[in-house]
Amino acid sequence: MTAVDVYLQQAINGVSLGAMYALLALGFTLVYGILELINFAHFNVFMVGSFVGLGMLELLGVMPNDPALTGLTLVGVLLLTFAVTMVFSGALGVLIERVALRPLRNIRGPASMITTIGVSYVLFNIVLLGFGADAKNFPSPLPQVQFAIGGAVLRLREILIWVISIGLMGGLTYFVQFTKMGKAMRATAQDPDAARMMGVEVDRVIITAFFLGSALAGAGGLMFGLYYNITSYVIGFQAGLRAFTAAVLGGIGNVPGAMLGGIIIGLVEAFGSYWISAAWADVIIFSILVLVLVFKPAGLLGRIAPNKS
Amino acid sequence: MTAAMSLGAHESATQKAARQAKAFISIMTVVMVAFPFLGMAFQGLGLDWDIGDDDVDSVSNALAYITLALGLNIVVGFAGLLDLGYAAFFAIGAYTYGIFTAYQIMPEWSAFWDPLAAISLVEKIHRDGADVVHFTLSFWIALPLAAGISAVCGVLFGFPTLRLRGDYLAIVTLGFGEIVPIVFRNVKSVTNGAAGLNGVQAPSLFGHSFQVNPKPYYYVGLVLVFLLVLFSVRLRDSRIGRSWMAVREDETAAGAMGVDHVKAKLLAFAIGAAFAGMTGVFYVAKLQTATPDMFGFPVSVMILVMVVFGGMGSVWGVVAGAAVLSLLQTWFLPSLTNWSHGIGEAVGNRWMQKVDFAGSTELIFGIILVMTMLYRRDGLIPAARKQAALSFDAQNVQGVVRGGFNKAAAAKLLRDMPKKGGNLLEVRGVTVKFGGLVALNAVDITVPAGGVVAVIGPNGSGKSTLFNVITGLVQADGGSIKFDGAEVLGLKPHEILERGIARTFQNIRLFSNLPVLTNVLIGQHARLHTGVAGAVLNLPSASSEERTALQRAKDIAALFGNRLTPRLGQVVSNLSYANRRRVEIARALASQPKILLLDEPTAGMNPAETLELAEQIKSLNELGLTILIIEHKLDVVTQLADTVVVLDHGEKLTEGKPAEVRRNEEVLRAYLGRAATEAAHAA
Repeated sequence: MTAVDVYLQQAINGVSLGAMYALLALGFTLVYGILELINFAHFNVFMVGSFVGLGMLELLGVMPNDPALTGLTLVGVLLLTFAVTMVFSGALGVLIERVALRPLRNIRGPASMITTIGVSYVLFNIVLLGFGADAKNFPSPLPQVQFAIGGAVLRLREILIWVISIGLMGGLTYFVQFTKMGKAMRATAQDPDAARMMGVEVDRVIITAFFLGSALAGAGGLMFGLYYNITSYVIGFQAGLRAFTAAVLGGIGNVPGAMLGGIIIGLVEAFGSYWISAAWADVIIFSILVLVLVFKPAGLLGRIAPNKS
Repeated sequence: MTAAMSLGAHESATQKAARQAKAFISIMTVVMVAFPFLGMAFQGLGLDWDIGDDDVDSVSNALAYITLALGLNIVVGFAGLLDLGYAAFFAIGAYTYGIFTAYQIMPEWSAFWDPLAAISLVEKIHRDGADVVHFTLSFWIALPLAAGISAVCGVLFGFPTLRLRGDYLAIVTLGFGEIVPIVFRNVKSVTNGAAGLNGVQAPSLFGHSFQVNPKPYYYVGLVLVFLLVLFSVRLRDSRIGRSWMAVREDETAAGAMGVDHVKAKLLAFAIGAAFAGMTGVFYVAKLQTATPDMFGFPVSVMILVMVVFGGMGSVWGVVAGAAVLSLLQTWFLPSLTNWSHGIGEAVGNRWMQKVDFAGSTELIFGIILVMTMLYRRDGLIPAARKQAALSFDAQNVQGVVRGGFNKAAAAKLLRDMPKKGGNLLEVRGVTVKFGGLVALNAVDITVPAGGVVAVIGPNGSGKSTLFNVITGLVQADGGSIKFDGAEVLGLKPHEILERGIARTFQNIRLFSNLPVLTNVLIGQHARLHTGVAGAVLNLPSASSEERTALQRAKDIAALFGNRLTPRLGQVVSNLSYANRRRVEIARALASQPKILLLDEPTAGMNPAETLELAEQIKSLNELGLTILIIEHKLDVVTQLADTVVVLDHGEKLTEGKPAEVRRNEEVLRAYLGRAATEAAHAA
């Protein structure tokens, strides 16, 4: 492999990672835009999503180390798995909002944030106790198709991640920009009280934000499993911290910003791991988080939601 | 705490509670000191209760968690900074001691080390055919050393990040807590990586090594807890503790009242880190090993759960919370597992036979955290005891009092005022822009010493922006503000207050969850000097300063007759609107200002109360206090002001005596519009 090939390969890896982070970052951004709340539970909604995807695949008879599927069976299995995972994760997000966060909505201070940490920790430990500490093998129903681009390799799983991510992000952008609910959501992000007085059902907007964000996180978790062929109860923490960094980098509360931030963080991770060491990846990404927060807290694309405090 | 020093009927109840608490603490102290030997006592009494070494060890672990929780309580509870990576400082302390006593870094021996060997910081050992250095840092030196190193790390980390908003700070600390163990894992040559340090030296005292006997560790832990409780309580009730709570409640108001919020936050962070660093030394010395996994996110969460469960900001609550939860983990959950298995076998329930509560500790902690936030946010022992509202009669003992403040009483509370005649405040050509909006355009205002200047103008004319730029809350885009002859433009709000400019806010910015008395005490922050050492050691200078400050605060409140005095112990958010306005003025007066900036002080008051307040302001002025006031009620303006400045669209429209300004056509037009002006002429 020439140097160019290596860079190309890292770019392919980075964009794939970045697509997953972007999906996760969108959930942070949607909720933060409306409630100004960092939802730490989101970290582990992603992780739970990956386990739900695993369960669904096994329910459909696709086991780890099974031969790859082809044709319509493959498409059907993937569609069904994604749909179930996203609905389940979305419902989990709504449940969290309803049970743990709504009672605290008008409480000043860090109460809500602390609660999301508790919820996140509960999810983490339920999966740990239920499935054990060992990493779980994830089925790989995708055929081993790959394309050589120079010396770099583009596999079907990467293409799948890109396609699905673009589809989901496009759908979300359409939803936020062009539907009535999307408009209500943007209005609520600007000023919840004014939106309420104009007839927006703020509770429904918040539930929608939690549902969409969590569904995207679930899709991200499933992609994680399909990409690495492995999942574990610990994946939420790292991915969550990176995705949050992505959201902040792009400008928290800003939907395109979350996508851009996700891709950048994915690339940083891929190239940072290559140039320096994978062991230091977290340190590099964390340093970016601090630098962005200190020097450009509005992020690259700026904040859409005004600072309400 | 000061909140407990209420008056009247509540006094006996609070005193009784304090006495009971004191008795309970005394009994607990005796029990704790005797604890390792209680087993023998029980056996002497013929009871079959044994306190084994493992029990003593469990309680020692609980003591370590109590010290950690006390440290985090300073950061989260007192200063309101949500730190999710607190275990990082625990790790830094632990590795400070571990690295300098374990067999990890062993440079070759040379003459350089001889003097260090003489004071037994190192020893010469023989390894692989060469003489090498083995560090043997004393445990007793390591405790303060690690505290210092952790505090420095806290400041270095906090300096760039503590300016961030609270929720961003949470995620940044989470990241910090994540990377510190990564660094310890990756720097293998120093820390032995994931395998951890081995052979960490046990402490010794008077030549006797602690070895693995749990009893000496227990007593070291007990002394640490005792010291840190004392430290926490004294800081909480001092000028330093009040500044933390002020920052927690309202950073902007804290700044305007003389609290340097960056300094206050850094101090809280450093002290919290120091507590954790010391505990780290204690903890690794006891375990005699240190691995990066001992300091991960779960530990930070566990300490946070202890603080939240015990009661954020409540010293005794945090002690109780940490004790209950760590003993729950080591004693109760394993027992519960055994009972469940026993009952499960008896009734044939498979789940009960299999369940492992001890293995689910973290899950249970997570549930406790969520439940506490949902159902008991103030925790086990809340920081502030709720005080009953005053009875209807008590609230209405006094009607409106005419004639202003008692001059003799007020004179004692004000400082010597600048001589009349000169100009105290000179605003020259000050411009403030918010993006494209020009909020103030080259405004000139002069306030003579001892005068009263009123600023009037329609809403949005820039009046409050003028106050904000004078007090340093917004930056000017040009101009100059001279106070008492010196430039104050560009100074930080707390520095401006120190110079003698105090203000109130249009929307009332009090420290809402703190009692009236504490609010007024915070107003004195800039005039008091007690630092950490003075407060912790309870030096005579500190305690006499505190007594004087308390008396001053009560005297200032007493100026308002019976309005505030019966409510000194009440949390501000329970007060009526008018009383909150009065507290804000009392707080500003407490800072001994030379000039008082009042932003619509009578807003929301009825005519009688307005008159009362106007006369009180007048009496302050008669004592020499210079006043700059924003007011909409023109009769108040006419009654008080020597000069009236009219602002409109950020520009000074006119300036003059109240009667002149009332007749000025431009003013009428700005206020009432052209048609109204014409109507006025016609009439």
